[in-house]
Amino acid sequence: MILTELRTTADAFHSSTGWEPKPEGLCRGEICVPAPGALAPDGSLDVTIAAERLGMPIVHDVEHGLWALGSATLGGRALSTAVAADPELKTFDNEPFRLSSLRGKKVILLAWSSY
Amino acid sequence: MTVALDIDIDLARPWNTLAAATHPTLIDTTHITNAAFGFTNIPMAVWIDENGVLVRPAEAASIERSPLRDMEIPEGLPEQLSKVMHAVKAIPDDAEAYRAAILDWVRNGAESRFAMTPDEVIERSRPHSDDEARARACFELGEHLRRTGHADSAVAWWKEAHRLDPQNLVYKRQAWTLVTTPAGATEYDLMQGPNDVYDSNLVDEVSGEGGFAQFIVRPTL
Repeated sequence: MILTELRTTADAFHSSTGWEPKPEGLCRGEICVPAPGALAPDGSLDVTIAAERLGMPIVHDVEHGLWALGSATLGGRALSTAVAADPELKTFDNEPFRLSSLRGKKVILLAWSSY
Repeated sequence: MTVALDIDIDLARPWNTLAAATHPTLIDTTHITNAAFGFTNIPMAVWIDENGVLVRPAEAASIERSPLRDMEIPEGLPEQLSKVMHAVKAIPDDAEAYRAAILDWVRNGAESRFAMTPDEVIERSRPHSDDEARARACFELGEHLRRTGHADSAVAWWKEAHRLDPQNLVYKRQAWTLVTTPAGATEYDLMQGPNDVYDSNLVDEVSGEGGFAQFIVRPTL
């Protein structure tokens, strides 16, 4: 997740990381990690607190005024939960597509590249 | 379904068009699915059941034996090409078993012996330390800088991603190919040999002792 300040909206954080800020904590699948003070009443999120709770490193590019948030290290494995992530991807026609649109079907998601 | 891990849709598009697939074909220009599912090489795949739950983590996902494996390598090829072809022939081949496992899961669903429980899926997903997580941030920052007109600034961040997560061949190949592909080319350079920008390159890494195998997460079947 790319940031220009260490505060963002709960929706943006959810969309980029898969972790949904809720009053009870940062939630994904069956997991909720308590994060007191992270979510403000106005729906904004303190990224520093959320990142610390989820074990997400923050990288800072001073020259361009940017921060990048690494992936969660909770549990020490690439997957924190078996509930499939649902990032918004694009078709080659630039239409938005989510894996969740295929619920009810078995899915094999295969990654490839042209390089 | 397929997802292209490609920061440039125009270079991925011809291959996608040629495939004429009947399943959804997606493009991931920011490599967000690498972090979401643990892809570190291609081809890799995850299996997801009807309820949106993973039943196998990211692993190598070839379903047919590459003809390159059985091709005799001619004498007199350019050295780099010869090295890469020898490396390709040495890639562990699990294609037949992997294809059979897919068909078994399609037929038997959760009863298939190849379908894992949620705990097994998590446990068998790739180890993920602070270094790998930080590499993800560095790669994304580099991609963002390149896309917003700061390509030179992207290199340092991609070098750092390579240092932190040396087993991630996607981060490496995506970066290498941008500096070894001639300007104006309609296809990426696949050789990704020695260059003046990065300290590492594909030819040297896969023709060394570990070969391609060091980057491959073999399916446990």
